Amino acid sequence: MTTAVSLRGVSKAYGGEGVRTFAALRDVDLDIEVNDFLVITGRSGCGKTTLLNIATGLATPTSGTVTVDGVEIWSVSDAERSGLRNRTMGFVFQFPSLLPGLSLEQNVMLPLEFSHEEHTDARPRAQELLDLVGLSHRMAALPRELSAGQQQRVVIARALINRPTLLLADEPSSDLDEETEAEIMEIFRRIHAEQALTIMMVTHARQLVAFGTRHLEMVDGAVRENPDHKGPARPA
Amino acid sequence: MVLSTVVISRGGQESLRLARQRLGADVVVVPRGAVTGIEGALLLGNATNTYLPRGVVGNVQAVPGVAIASPQLYLTSMANSSCCSVSLMFMYAFDPATDFTIEPWLKEKLGHDLALGQAVGGSEVFAPDGNDKIKLYGYEFTLVGKLEPTGTNLDQTLFMTFPTAFEMERVSQTKAKMGLPVLESYVSSVMVKVNPGADRTQVAEAITKAIPEVQAVPAAELFGSYGTQISGVLRTLVVIVVLTVALSLALMAVVFWMSVHDRSRQIGVLRALGATQRVVLLAYMTEAALLALVGGLVGAVLATAAMYLFHDLLVSALGFTIMLPSLVSLVGLIVVGLIVALAVAAAAALVPALRASRQEPAVSMRE
Repeated sequence: MTTAVSLRGVSKAYGGEGVRTFAALRDVDLDIEVNDFLVITGRSGCGKTTLLNIATGLATPTSGTVTVDGVEIWSVSDAERSGLRNRTMGFVFQFPSLLPGLSLEQNVMLPLEFSHEEHTDARPRAQELLDLVGLSHRMAALPRELSAGQQQRVVIARALINRPTLLLADEPSSDLDEETEAEIMEIFRRIHAEQALTIMMVTHARQLVAFGTRHLEMVDGAVRENPDHKGPARPA
Repeated sequence: MVLSTVVISRGGQESLRLARQRLGADVVVVPRGAVTGIEGALLLGNATNTYLPRGVVGNVQAVPGVAIASPQLYLTSMANSSCCSVSLMFMYAFDPATDFTIEPWLKEKLGHDLALGQAVGGSEVFAPDGNDKIKLYGYEFTLVGKLEPTGTNLDQTLFMTFPTAFEMERVSQTKAKMGLPVLESYVSSVMVKVNPGADRTQVAEAITKAIPEVQAVPAAELFGSYGTQISGVLRTLVVIVVLTVALSLALMAVVFWMSVHDRSRQIGVLRALGATQRVVLLAYMTEAALLALVGGLVGAVLATAAMYLFHDLLVSALGFTIMLPSLVSLVGLIVVGLIVALAVAAAAALVPALRASRQEPAVSMRE
């Protein structure tokens, strides 16, 4: 097995001088293997999003090290860290994250703007991904013309445009109805099975645990692997 | 605002310089106590009713240090009268035998002196109906040329010789609604060229001392009260400009802070997608620069249009003349104005842009 993300002794405390300190993460050790579909659950405020942000270089740990794709991400420059995120990671956020002034196609191609490589197949790739999420017929539409569930599907397409190895999802279905949630999770299941992606998903919805190959529970900033978890097998 | 202030201050000073240059004298001799009146006549076309007896010209010529003394006569046309084809025209009669202001120009441009009935105009003198005839006090002049602009009333002045002015006076007695007074006995001022090496101030003092009814002013001091007035207006404008720029800076900084705050989540998303701190900083600074350029250009166009459209109103309100800049100068001033706008926008946007770019993406997304 190859490790995609590794956290060693990671802690994160908020607050400072004269303010009561709050420990969001406490000495976390975690290895996420390639092709894992890791589902992290826990109550609100237990540190799930903080863990995701620190693992992806979006937030700085108070102590500890984070290694992604063999790179210790807090020992490199901002430009290198941003480049690593751009090349290897795709993000699906809880909140609406499409740029309102761009069409769906432009939104999907946006990460390519921050890549230093030339992408001659950008438009066909965007079309292919919008097709994957069932929205290739709306490429010229603006985000406001779509429902929340459709927008979240476009975000998934955007997350995949750079052919990442790691897909990170923070409560991707929290604002959606059950039917739309099922559609979104089905897309996650498919791309995990077909594209052999490593997925790290944070959610408070326990019914989504079944989609993961592994399940982690978080309590007060500490993580605990669920040894009884029975999910789908990791793709070969 | 910056553009308007520079145009007004520079234009005011430039018009005074050109007016002094047009008069071409070292010393100007006027009736005692009438300096302001003569300045107003030459700069703004105000009517002047103070005259000197013609015999004074010989007295001035006799003062040591005086090389040439050339008399001039200032008249104004009658407004809205059937005897005049133009309204409120300022007239300036000179002695062709001694004149050193208009005569050199005539020789260079026309190659001949003005004949009886001929006149040259300032840059803004136009004959009505597209022909070259202008009728004043029932007398018809032929316009044979135009002088370069000065931004003063001299641009709306008709220049003629004394014989032509006397002929106009003669004709006015029968053909004008009101005849001109007998002009041959009077002059409005005497323009003096001093001998080479002579001190202008000393010559002016000598003239004033020798002839009780006159006051001699070195040309460099002429329009001094207007220069003071321009400086006063300039000081006020500079204060207003400084306050305006400071307020603009503060207002733009607030707008950029609000913009950064409103788009904080978008910035966080862009950073998550791979945008570097530099990309975010450049995006904000480029936006600020574009806003400054568009705003600056719109402001420059409006200011320029206002300057040209309301020039007369501005001159009347400020009490001094303004020489509007040439196209090349105007473009230069607009470029300077745009640079100022860019600098203000950059200063206002820099801190918010730096904060937006350096903030942790996770924090940006949470705000």
